[in-house]
Amino acid sequence: MANTVDLSTHPETAGDDTRKGPPTAASRPRERRRAHWAEGHSRTIISPLELKSRWGSRIYWTVLAAILSVFTLVFVFPLYWMVTGAMKSGEEIAQMPPTLWPKDPDFSVFADAWELFDVGLLLKNTLFYSVGAWLFALAVDVTAAYALSKLRPMFGNVILGAMFATLMIPPIVVMIPAYITVTDVPIFGWNLLNTPWAIWFPVAANGFNIFLLKRFFDSIPDEILEAAEIDGVPPWRVLVSIILPISRPILGVVSIFTIVMVFKDFVWPLLVLPDSEKMTISVGLSQTAGQVTQNQIMAGLVMASIPMIIVFVFFQRSIMAGLTAGSLKG
Amino acid sequence: MDTPTVQAKRPPKSQRRPPARPSRQRRTLRTNITAYGFLCAALFCFALFAWWPIVRQVVLSFQETNLVDEPTWVGLDNFRAVVEDPAFGQAWKNTFAFTFLALLCGYVIPFVVAIVLNELRHARGYLRFVVYLPVMLPPIVSVLLFRWFYDPGPGLFNQLLDFVGLPGLSWLDSTDTALISLVIVSTWMNMGSGVLIYLAALQNIPGELYEAAELDGAGIFRRIWNVTIPQTRLILLLMLMLQVVATMQVFIEPYMLTGGGPENATVTVAFLMYQYAFVYGGNYGAGSALGVMLMVVLLAVAAVQLRLTRDEKR
Amino acid sequence: MKSRNLAIFLISSGLVLSATACGGDSDAGAKGDVTITVACQPAKTAPLQRKAWDDDVKAFEKAHPGVKVKSTDQQPCFDPKTFAAKLAGGQMETVFMAPVTNYADVMAKGQAKEITASTDLVKNFGSIRQDVRDMVTKDGKIYGVPNVSYSVGLVYNRKLFQQAGLDPNSPPKTWDEVRAAAKKIADLGDGYVGYGEYGGGNVGGWHFAQSIFSRGGEMVVNGKAAFNSAEGKAVLQTLHDMRWKDDSVGKKVLIGWEALMQQMAAGKTGMMLGAPDVVTDLVQKFQGSKEQYGIAPIPEGKASLTGGEAYMINPKASDAEAKAGLQWIDFQFNTPGKGRHDYARGKANGEAVGVPNNDYMSDSPTGQEIAALREKNAVLPVEYYQPYVEGAKNVEIKLEPAKAQELYAVLDVPMSAVLTRENADIDKLLADAESKANTILAKS
Repeated sequence: MANTVDLSTHPETAGDDTRKGPPTAASRPRERRRAHWAEGHSRTIISPLELKSRWGSRIYWTVLAAILSVFTLVFVFPLYWMVTGAMKSGEEIAQMPPTLWPKDPDFSVFADAWELFDVGLLLKNTLFYSVGAWLFALAVDVTAAYALSKLRPMFGNVILGAMFATLMIPPIVVMIPAYITVTDVPIFGWNLLNTPWAIWFPVAANGFNIFLLKRFFDSIPDEILEAAEIDGVPPWRVLVSIILPISRPILGVVSIFTIVMVFKDFVWPLLVLPDSEKMTISVGLSQTAGQVTQNQIMAGLVMASIPMIIVFVFFQRSIMAGLTAGSLKG
Repeated sequence: MDTPTVQAKRPPKSQRRPPARPSRQRRTLRTNITAYGFLCAALFCFALFAWWPIVRQVVLSFQETNLVDEPTWVGLDNFRAVVEDPAFGQAWKNTFAFTFLALLCGYVIPFVVAIVLNELRHARGYLRFVVYLPVMLPPIVSVLLFRWFYDPGPGLFNQLLDFVGLPGLSWLDSTDTALISLVIVSTWMNMGSGVLIYLAALQNIPGELYEAAELDGAGIFRRIWNVTIPQTRLILLLMLMLQVVATMQVFIEPYMLTGGGPENATVTVAFLMYQYAFVYGGNYGAGSALGVMLMVVLLAVAAVQLRLTRDEKR
Repeated sequence: MKSRNLAIFLISSGLVLSATACGGDSDAGAKGDVTITVACQPAKTAPLQRKAWDDDVKAFEKAHPGVKVKSTDQQPCFDPKTFAAKLAGGQMETVFMAPVTNYADVMAKGQAKEITASTDLVKNFGSIRQDVRDMVTKDGKIYGVPNVSYSVGLVYNRKLFQQAGLDPNSPPKTWDEVRAAAKKIADLGDGYVGYGEYGGGNVGGWHFAQSIFSRGGEMVVNGKAAFNSAEGKAVLQTLHDMRWKDDSVGKKVLIGWEALMQQMAAGKTGMMLGAPDVVTDLVQKFQGSKEQYGIAPIPEGKASLTGGEAYMINPKASDAEAKAGLQWIDFQFNTPGKGRHDYARGKANGEAVGVPNNDYMSDSPTGQEIAALREKNAVLPVEYYQPYVEGAKNVEIKLEPAKAQELYAVLDVPMSAVLTRENADIDKLLADAESKANTILAKS
């Protein structure tokens, strides 16, 4: 239940790294030593020739330097300020003008914040919800996408249309009825408040996952499946031993974004997991932030960010590389 | 995405049917049963947690309920009550203003950034990593971080302004700057995905087009205008809609940073909806009425988008 | 092949069905036994208080054979966000707590069981102040047992008073004196705030109500907004002048209850409106210094907003459950020296005992007994709260208006306006708020 449509899940994002231009460029003997960096890159707006010109190259390096500093300032410096802010004392953090580096870096604040926010429990909860949502959503969405793509039952297109239609209405717009539904699930009468299912069920009902998976499955030639069918392989084995192995890249994309989405979500867990023992890290931080000092808040934020940064560092490559490696050629 | 984009063309039916297949009818029945077997979990989840809430939203908007007793039908009372709410007009105004400002910052800037990034031959990995970093952070982290930056006293922003000799701003504490302050946080934490999506789209543009344009004597800006933008128009349109949809649901920013103030300057529709249902003693009907209005607006946006894309494809 | 297909059905539907496990509730007790669930067990993060509670549960079960008590520890134990849904979903405890803000709503919506005939199960029910009991009474029927009642006063930092050359033993009695004192404290230097006030997040409007009551004004009269009055204007004008003429209320707009608490605990804020329990929280939750705070009666003292809480019984509870529930309320919350009123144990557990945070039994014999026990075991300097204790006796207490939260949201606007805009037009702000409030009040 992301509160925004996660734009990054758009299929165009991921492959980014994989189109680094013709491989020949790198292997071509370099005739010119000077400005060879201008080559080896697919043709963009500015031609390599323009870049290699004296002015082109000057402007290029100026722009590069400017971009590097602006980006570092805008995107890295706030995080630097967060980490160093955590290590400042209560007086130092309120000091005007501020210090660029803590006079006496104090790491014990992280231990304090760990206790105060109960970060261990919150992270454990959040991880549990994320991983559970991932497994559950994958199981549900993969089977559904497979059925819709390959088995093509009656009314399949109607179902598909109805699933895609939900993409137009972001979860937050229906938070009130969704919340009421979770407190008393129609027909079954379950109350899912404070249970992980309040997260998992809605996450599995994700039209975008179905869209991505189905589009991928559609591109797998039917011939492969028909050959299997003639050999008497049942559909579930086709799914497990033929489809899933070739779908690894798309499964990677769906997995990572499901995990990240659940980890980041705020409004929905705020509503459905109010118990302090069951809270997610985001909700827990928001509830306790009012009662602790500024440096402790920052320490809490640092600890909440670390898991996602690790995931990012770790998967940034594997998603992008995995997409090319796993793709079906032809 | 470099996933197989080959359109798997289905061979004509006659060829597709393998020789040793049981009678057609049986296959259809059996395939259907199997297919629905595979589908049942998804149908369960969608029916109860995606489709039903949408229906329920509409139903609730015509009812008054405390969730214990039988709900009573109240006709348009909820809508009337919501429209008469003093914060109603303000909330819509703010939501549209937020959407507009967020588009200005979060739509144009990422595209420009992506164009520049795409021209660079160095540090691309670093820049991509850095620009996407805030997207990975839980929104609560960004929001609480900026709450501190916006502090009129020792907050980073006023200290920076002070450093360069400018007077400090009130940021969240003034009707003039509160909304734009929220837009800044929102843009900071969401911009990365836009940049990366545009970047991917830009890399899809065949280099020959630029070469041809260059041969025609087009300068850099003409090349952008004549090649880049037309070539990315579809993705630009899609992103426009996604951005509108995303910014129409602003909640966490006003919830954590301003509580809708000062003087209602940052009350958004989603925030007001939450207030009705969960702060003003469980007025689910009025909250749902607002939700229905929001749904209608979003569907209208989607319809416009579909029209535009269709025209574009033609 | 078919059976294999069946297997995949089972896997996918099994995933779904396994969810049923969490839906079913199995508490079939032994025959004759009654099991009740009770709210507000202290959180795990307060292990000593939690153990004390658990000990109480054991003692209660021993004294009432056949009654089993299960505690829940949702934090906070009354959450308006989930209250209705919990009740609807059958997750509401047999004995639950409601704050005074929600009494009217809960009674109007039939969310509490009527207990008129069985109030004698709570032995000291008669000692509870009549005006407090009236709050849980509707049409002559009683729906709850009040356990906490207090009225708002002025919490101030004695240390800062001293630093600023003010006498901590004679706190300001009028709003003019508050303003003068605030100015002196703010003059102590950068970062010092004379008087802290909220400007949004519904607490702004809440403090507006406290201020207007203190000046003798009204919020709502006969279903119409009544705050566009001389008193209402005075509230905003004083605040405006303190912000823009004296610069004694700080530059940052405070949103949400914690914001001001945190600022007060940090020791650089001189005064704030608050009930005595503010001091408990400042010391216990926000690490404020024990010796710093004094409590004075509310300035001008014409009337004061009341706060408090009551325990109520789930409307779906059976008679046997209701009986056991009331016995628990009696045992845990209304017996001097036991449960909540076991101040000796509280002191041993490091609680901030001594704040006169509960006046629900007033001067009745039981009330006096409780007050004596509290003072005997005080950890905090009781004498610092004496001005409040004496002053509060003569102050009329006032309930929150109907639709309080919605009205507070409306009044956040003028409060934030005078704190953020020097040219704020108070007359217009109040007139606007009045018409907005009347629209809200006119609704059903």
